[in-house]
Amino acid sequence: MPRRTDIHKILIIGSGPIVIGQACEFDYSGTQGCKALREEGYEVILVNSNPATIMTDPSTGDRTYIEPIIPEALEKIIEIERPDCLLPTLGGQTALNASVELAESGVLERYGVELIGAKLKAIKKAEDRDLFKEAINHIGLDLPRSGFVHNMEEAWKAIEHVGFPAIIRPSFTLGGAGAGTAYNREEYEQVVKWGLEMSPVHTILVEESVLGWKEFELEVMRDLANNVVIICSIENFDPMGVHTGDSITVAPAQTLTDKEYQAMRDAAIAIIREIGVETGGSNIQFAVNPEDGRMVVVEMNPRVSRSSALASKATGFPIAKIAAKLAVGYTLDEIPNDITKETPASFEPTIDYCVVKIPRWAFEKFPGSKPVLGTQMKSVGEAMSIGRTFKEALQKGLRSLETDRGGWGADGKDRYVFDDPAHPRYRDPGDPELKAEIVEKLKIPTPDRIFYIRYAFQIGMTVEEIYDCSRIDPWFLANLLEILAMEERLAEAGPAIQSWIEE
Amino acid sequence: MNEKEIYRLLLEAKEFGFSDRQLAHIWKTGEDSIRRLRERLGLRPVYKTVDTCAAEFEAYTPYHYSTYETESEVRGCEKEKIVILGGGPNRIGQGIEFDYCCVHAVLALKEIGYETIMVNSNPETVSTDYDTADRLYFEPLTFEDVMNIIEAEKPKGVIVQFGGQTPLKLAVPLENAGVTILGTSPDSIDLAEDRERFGALIEDLKIKQPPNGIAVNSGQAREIAKRLGYPVLVRPSYVLGGRAMEIVYDEANLIRYMDLAVEASPEKPVLVDKYLDNAVEVDVDAISDGVDVCIGGIMEHIEFAGVHSGDSACVIPPRTLQPSTIELICEQTTALAKALNVKGLMNIQYAVARHNGHEELYVLEVNPRASRTVPFVSKATGVSLAKIAAKVMAGLPLAQFGLPKMPRIDHIAVKEAVLPFVKFPGVDTLLGPEMRSTGEVMGIDTDFGRAYAKSQAGAGMRLPSPHPGDKKRCVVVSVNDRDKPLIVESVKKLLDMGFEVMATQGTHQYLQEKNLECRRVFKVQEGRPNIVDFMKNNITALVINTPLGENSTFDEKSLRRCALELNVPYVTTVSAAQAAVLGIESDLGRNLQVKALQDYSM
Repeated sequence: MPRRTDIHKILIIGSGPIVIGQACEFDYSGTQGCKALREEGYEVILVNSNPATIMTDPSTGDRTYIEPIIPEALEKIIEIERPDCLLPTLGGQTALNASVELAESGVLERYGVELIGAKLKAIKKAEDRDLFKEAINHIGLDLPRSGFVHNMEEAWKAIEHVGFPAIIRPSFTLGGAGAGTAYNREEYEQVVKWGLEMSPVHTILVEESVLGWKEFELEVMRDLANNVVIICSIENFDPMGVHTGDSITVAPAQTLTDKEYQAMRDAAIAIIREIGVETGGSNIQFAVNPEDGRMVVVEMNPRVSRSSALASKATGFPIAKIAAKLAVGYTLDEIPNDITKETPASFEPTIDYCVVKIPRWAFEKFPGSKPVLGTQMKSVGEAMSIGRTFKEALQKGLRSLETDRGGWGADGKDRYVFDDPAHPRYRDPGDPELKAEIVEKLKIPTPDRIFYIRYAFQIGMTVEEIYDCSRIDPWFLANLLEILAMEERLAEAGPAIQSWIEE
Repeated sequence: MNEKEIYRLLLEAKEFGFSDRQLAHIWKTGEDSIRRLRERLGLRPVYKTVDTCAAEFEAYTPYHYSTYETESEVRGCEKEKIVILGGGPNRIGQGIEFDYCCVHAVLALKEIGYETIMVNSNPETVSTDYDTADRLYFEPLTFEDVMNIIEAEKPKGVIVQFGGQTPLKLAVPLENAGVTILGTSPDSIDLAEDRERFGALIEDLKIKQPPNGIAVNSGQAREIAKRLGYPVLVRPSYVLGGRAMEIVYDEANLIRYMDLAVEASPEKPVLVDKYLDNAVEVDVDAISDGVDVCIGGIMEHIEFAGVHSGDSACVIPPRTLQPSTIELICEQTTALAKALNVKGLMNIQYAVARHNGHEELYVLEVNPRASRTVPFVSKATGVSLAKIAAKVMAGLPLAQFGLPKMPRIDHIAVKEAVLPFVKFPGVDTLLGPEMRSTGEVMGIDTDFGRAYAKSQAGAGMRLPSPHPGDKKRCVVVSVNDRDKPLIVESVKKLLDMGFEVMATQGTHQYLQEKNLECRRVFKVQEGRPNIVDFMKNNITALVINTPLGENSTFDEKSLRRCALELNVPYVTTVSAAQAAVLGIESDLGRNLQVKALQDYSM
């Protein structure tokens, strides 16, 4: 299908100020989207309150509003500019929420503005817990087992199919207050009672715990002709329980069997079709139980996300740009790939290298806060690195972080020194107290966990032991162990090398 | 080991991702000797292409990464090249602003015919879009990785000015390795950062700095403070970015700081500066080619000096400065730019102290590089400072761009910082000398109140409506003794608008003495109903709470946390309270106007 000629002016909403969880990746996607649409001859109206963005440069859009992203301001802008369409999927959750609000309050209808990219119904289906569950069940896929509960009686019934460990989440509490995990009936009773009391509507969600499961993301795109391509698979080094924004992630996925990967692909394609994201990119997260391979769908973002920026950089496939072109009517096979100029966007990217993303935190700026990672994102930035192997990319990534590290340790900055008893940071590798300290750090994810894996190996812990504490896939751990073995070989060669090093 | 064996071993180490720095540590030598060893062995990385198709088709877009193999995929090029170093991962104090500056530098250099080469490791950015620069290297910003690229590409020069601290700290090592650093020389950058050299320079130029001294123990600090007079600003000399910086109002607190907060020693002295109480802080961005100097913008901070400039709101053009002070700012900025032989951008922070209607100007800091405020200034004035700076650094004369000495604009632009406190439970929300904001918004309009109100709305804080009828009509005021006289005017205005003012004991007493009608409200630990009850009952429109400093109680902190979590608008400085009152008066709810940047005259 050629591009639509019945529309001329398109409104794009940005993501506003940089906050934790919503950073400059949306400047990247907004700017790309804008360039792509102007290239096609559309007039682009931009709204963003963030002056530090490229998208708000007066030359990026045709009309640029640096105004607060609030319904009143957006309505005024629509009233003045009379756009034909609103593309809500490039400005993160902020833009998506603002667009939903404009649609639901009738503003879009009043001014005859069409939502393109994702329709209200699809956005709702992806974002509303109940609707999403229904949709996923409808196509025969699995979610973590769960149920809403209003009293203890219902709670006992729910736990029968949910099973232990179970996560209890009270509805409508601030910052997730009252949530907890129960491993047995006694704990369960306590947490449920507490949760019911905390919830202003006396409702809790009892959910199967997928803590420690392997976590994956697929970046998926769909066009109006119902073609779907998978742009990139991403595997989280840190298992479920750590927000993907706070997790080290690796592309492409490293530890799936081909069969598992194909099942995940099929699931992703079925999901984007069922949810009905008309055109553009979506991010779908999966959890896989390492014990039995059971795969569940965790969530879906019906828009361009932090992960899609990463996937674009990891593959060279410009997701936001293509999403913008799909939104105005092109199909994937009609859009050429800029990099090869030969293949169309319907060609799934293939990568012959490994990409690692590592988050960057700023806990030291907030005295009193615990540097513990969980389901709420805390990192303020990230570095990405590319290498031929996971090992090479990981070490490059660690030295990209601007945390004064030269790689995965061996840089004079390690917390413990084991080979030099005279060193002030020397620790006896056989010290049981030290082992307890390290085990604790493997169990509770913190920004430094990656380095504690190193110390764990150095005091003689095995891949299996470290896996039991951290649930980090043994494949990753084995790679880290190989780095350490290499380091030992290098150290052994030290005396022989000395004469070659001119001082 | 023979040469071949050593080559094999090093190659294998490199394939495992080991950096020269790690190898140097393992072999107990310097990073440079590892580099020399690699050069001797001829061991260099090659550059592969990110091509979407695993090399099945030819790739036209030079987007590269390094690895240790045999075949390099970098193409030759006829044009002269310039390397722009990016800022690496975003963190607090170094964010999207530097991505903006790098992108503009790339666009500008492309315009004047250079082949641009971007190096960065941050996947979130526009600078790492393969569409931005002519060539993109997705690589760590370490000396080793950058030097490898420079050796492979042989550029005319490298720009370190636009990516914040990350590339800046590579300036000297790169220059020592024979690389041409474009723009202001690394020596000038060092001069501006070195306290002694800089002190001598401004003495020569007859520019004032806040009186100061250096203490290596508590006794010395007390002597210096006595000489300067309290309050003083104290900070360890070896810590960057405002960490552990504190404003101290009396000797008892100075002793506490010196003995408990920092361990001063001859190697780690503590800097003691006279703190200019209630001084207005001013940020200036300027551009120079060493001959001419143009002022990009003068920003007046809303929060008083002492709050990190990155966390303070600011307004352009300056709102309350006397014309003579503005003139003096221009003169001193020009003098400093010339003395430092700035080629490119520079940022200067000044403080303006006021005594009986007289304004006194002090320079606080000079940074001869792109600052965090460059994009804001550029959006507010319509001049792309980063682009012009990049062209100047490539050798074009500044005079060619026809910039005015000082931009004149008819509108008002306010920048507000956005802080992540809500993500860190239990952390106090006070602003201080250490920067903690993650981002910023801009409010632009024809008067200050409206622009300020827009900036607050953009940052997620909706100021209340001035019209009676809204059920949120209570303003809670609880301020320290120093701030009490300064809050009177704002309270008067709030009362005039029909708000009910509730104040805690001391503030209540003070306001009553000034004949301002207000209700006494309990602090949390004094009884009930207390401040928090009023907030939870959803009738509080605004909380004005300034800290008691070191004696700040649990009570105050819980009040601020509560306001944050219940999303009640709150301000923690008197100056922000004054601005908020003007914002409320502007009645954004009824007067909201929007206007495209393209319609402003600039």
